[in-house]
Amino acid sequence: MALSRRQFLSRTGLATAGMFGSGLWRSPFIRRAYADTIGDRYVISLFLNGGNDGLNTVTPIANGGSGTLRTAYQVARKTGVGGLQLSAAELAATAIGNDPISGTPLALHPGLVGLSSLYNAGHVAVIQGCGYPDYNLSHETSRRTWETAILGGNGNGWIGRYLAQNYGGTDIPALNISGGVAGDFQQNATSVLAADRVAYLEFPYGYNSDSEKLAKRACFNSLYGDAASSLQAALSYTGSAGSATLDATDSYPGLEDLYVADRASFDLQYDTLDKSTGNDLREIAKVMYGVKQNAMGVHARHFELSNGGYDTHSDQGTSGAMDQHYGLHRELGDSLQLFYSDIADMGLASKTLIFVFTEFSRRVTQNDSGTDHGSQGPVFVIGGAVNGGVYGNHPNINAAALDDGDNTVYSQAVADPYRSTDMRDIYGTILKHWLNMSAPTILSSVLTADGGDPDLYWTAPNFDMGFLP
Amino acid sequence: MGDQNTVLSASDAAHFLRRTGFGAAPKDVATYTGLTRGQAADKILNFNTAGVFRPRGNDSRKLRDSWLKYMIRSNRQLQEKLVLFWHDHFAAGADKVGNSLRTADYNHLLRLNCKGNLKNFVKAINLDGAIMVYLDTVDNHKDQPNENYARELQELFTLGVRDLNGMPNYAQADIVQIARAFSGWDSSYNKNKPSFNDYDHDYTMDFPARGAKVIYQTHGGFGPAGKDFTLPAGEGPAEISQVIDIIFQHTDSDGKNTVTRFITHKLLEYFGHAGPSKTIVTDLITTSSFDTTFEISPLLRAIFTHDFFYETAVPAPFNGATQKSVKWPIDYVVSTLKALKINLKQTKYDLYINGSFYSNIHNSLENMGQLILEPPSVFGWDWETAWLSSATLLSRFEFARNATNAYGNGRTKFHPEKLIDLGLSDPGDIVDAVTTYLGVKDQFSTSDRLALIAYLGAGPIDLHNQDTREVKLNGLFTLVLQAPAFQVH
Repeated sequence: MALSRRQFLSRTGLATAGMFGSGLWRSPFIRRAYADTIGDRYVISLFLNGGNDGLNTVTPIANGGSGTLRTAYQVARKTGVGGLQLSAAELAATAIGNDPISGTPLALHPGLVGLSSLYNAGHVAVIQGCGYPDYNLSHETSRRTWETAILGGNGNGWIGRYLAQNYGGTDIPALNISGGVAGDFQQNATSVLAADRVAYLEFPYGYNSDSEKLAKRACFNSLYGDAASSLQAALSYTGSAGSATLDATDSYPGLEDLYVADRASFDLQYDTLDKSTGNDLREIAKVMYGVKQNAMGVHARHFELSNGGYDTHSDQGTSGAMDQHYGLHRELGDSLQLFYSDIADMGLASKTLIFVFTEFSRRVTQNDSGTDHGSQGPVFVIGGAVNGGVYGNHPNINAAALDDGDNTVYSQAVADPYRSTDMRDIYGTILKHWLNMSAPTILSSVLTADGGDPDLYWTAPNFDMGFLP
Repeated sequence: MGDQNTVLSASDAAHFLRRTGFGAAPKDVATYTGLTRGQAADKILNFNTAGVFRPRGNDSRKLRDSWLKYMIRSNRQLQEKLVLFWHDHFAAGADKVGNSLRTADYNHLLRLNCKGNLKNFVKAINLDGAIMVYLDTVDNHKDQPNENYARELQELFTLGVRDLNGMPNYAQADIVQIARAFSGWDSSYNKNKPSFNDYDHDYTMDFPARGAKVIYQTHGGFGPAGKDFTLPAGEGPAEISQVIDIIFQHTDSDGKNTVTRFITHKLLEYFGHAGPSKTIVTDLITTSSFDTTFEISPLLRAIFTHDFFYETAVPAPFNGATQKSVKWPIDYVVSTLKALKINLKQTKYDLYINGSFYSNIHNSLENMGQLILEPPSVFGWDWETAWLSSATLLSRFEFARNATNAYGNGRTKFHPEKLIDLGLSDPGDIVDAVTTYLGVKDQFSTSDRLALIAYLGAGPIDLHNQDTREVKLNGLFTLVLQAPAFQVH
């Protein structure tokens, strides 16, 4: 698709040539500046690509209290061949708290057993009914909306806007475990690295003598430094991205050996788990460990990874070991559990916040064997400092309450027992309570209220949702 | 202001070849220099779509290698550039498609239709086995309609979410109704032939609660009555073709044909740069009668003779008004291999640059972010700066290093001595010879040139000395291919 459908930015605004060799990174002044802005905290954004089925992720076990949600669930989700209904027995082992207003007892999908154990230890906030007004069923538009926190999805990413506020052109505050930079990190003021593995950030000089490598490097540095200062946008972008890449090749590849040498037992556990989400989280662990050990030139505090396959239009399955949704959730929960134990062992669990989101939930009523695109769904926030529990309200899945498209309705009406959680309240809570940004600054530089009818739009910020102290 | 009679300079010709094919070889630049824009367009569009290439192989990896080798050797360069465009547009990934016959047929279909009639093309896409699997048409049953194809048909293939005026093109109700048209269609696994199963088709009499098979009552310029896609041939297998006929009559909020605007805008971004204005889009559609004939070839001719297409031809130094576009990874790979004249090494399982078999072409493309036949999603690939990250750039740099260090016997080895006059000894002359050979001399700025000269060191350089040549001439090729100016066009 055309330019900037996702508009991943990697880096712009880099100063001109001559900074390779990383003299800058060794400057104590620069390093102190980092500590001042980021504190000593980490943020990890984990995207479930394709639209995770929220109703089979946080599921009513019974009607409970005043609720009718289990009954409605059993209408929407069938039993038998192709049926997606999770039984109360299947859900028993992964039960969590109750829906705050209706008292409906809830459970995580049986595949999320790893996440369930983190929940039981008090490290997981399950935030229900998360979305935005005028939901969009396009993967792209909805993802962009989540990434930007702007309805329609045109603009820089919400994390990107935070980074742009706090970092300059010579900083590298973020790494995406991916071939490209994700939309939530998009901005044009500082540098976001992208690599599938930190070890891949090696510069491919070839089999040359040292003097020839230096000659190549000097030329490369000059070409990219000049391009970075070009007035032509695409060339300038290329130059900046290449210059940041060259800088990173000085510092990041060594993190691999450092981690493998010092943390062999965890390294082996990721190997044994053998899941791509686990392997991606291990790369983040390598960087976090590097920062902890003061590895030269490594200062990334913000990370992104994603796990695909959630677009379960068909053959979604229930709790069978080979079922599609089960497999996705099993990978997610087990990987998070292992990563959490890794960073806890490093002493970083209470310094780390993991935010798990998706572009939309899925249709309340299932199709033949899967689910079509839907509206709002749950988000997970995980970390040692998180106040574990259930937040927000379960969406109203009673048939009579669904809209013409058979989706749950976004509502900000204060009296609504199914009141939605706007994504911006979650982001604002993270920015305010985790990243120490003041509410007025958040509103002026990161998140903008919609205006309009306060029952239908997000107009009154609630940056104190309570899942962070 | 130019037009179809404007004569191409060498710089224009190099640009024309870079964008309509894979790189600008000096002999081709010479051929096109002095032609008019119209002559150049006619020449490049003059290829036959009958009996076209169909990739061979019994798995997606072999199909990919087969197609890649064809891209390098084919003299119908524009055809392959168009197949890539349509592959990105009508995206299907071999992994989910899961059947090499379907993937090969799909690739062949794109080539057959690449410059033909757009409406017929979309109708063929409706029933292409790969697309039917990739977008779940085969899982669209009357009891449980699957909306996936109905949505993407409109959002990605024909209309776009919004028109060029920013207004929505369709409503959810239109998706729901169109999904009904596609219920009951299937594709045979062994023969890859579409079939219509009447018993599984959603007929109005069986589902009165679903309403009439009418679409676009709120969008598309059809008025509140909308359009009934059971007409004229009635309910049943004809519906999917009738849906396409209606979509091609859809007009946007200022009354212009929507599909042709959507496609023209995207083709302009592909062959030119991001952000063509509505005026230019409208102008080109009018010139080529695209909105009445839906013929792609005349539209392409109109694009290739328009000033918009030539805006990115500007030589360095670039300024804030200069438009450039980031080269697609597949373009980078194919144009490099063509220019360096190296044959890839083919083993039973791998296709790779000789001497670098740990990095086969399959991996290179994947790491650069464009594994052909496996787009990341139905949205195809993200273009422009989304192609560039530290990860993808390092993959480009590595590929350039491998290609310029290819060794082995005969044509799997890189032979720069066959491409560059070894009598040259002045570093500036050598740099100019390499950038000229690679068709990008005017795209490198004075400071780029000086940096490359500095790399070679003080002259004279003795290129006849094999040791010097293999380090410095190969190294110069590496750096030019890695240079930022080579990543854009």
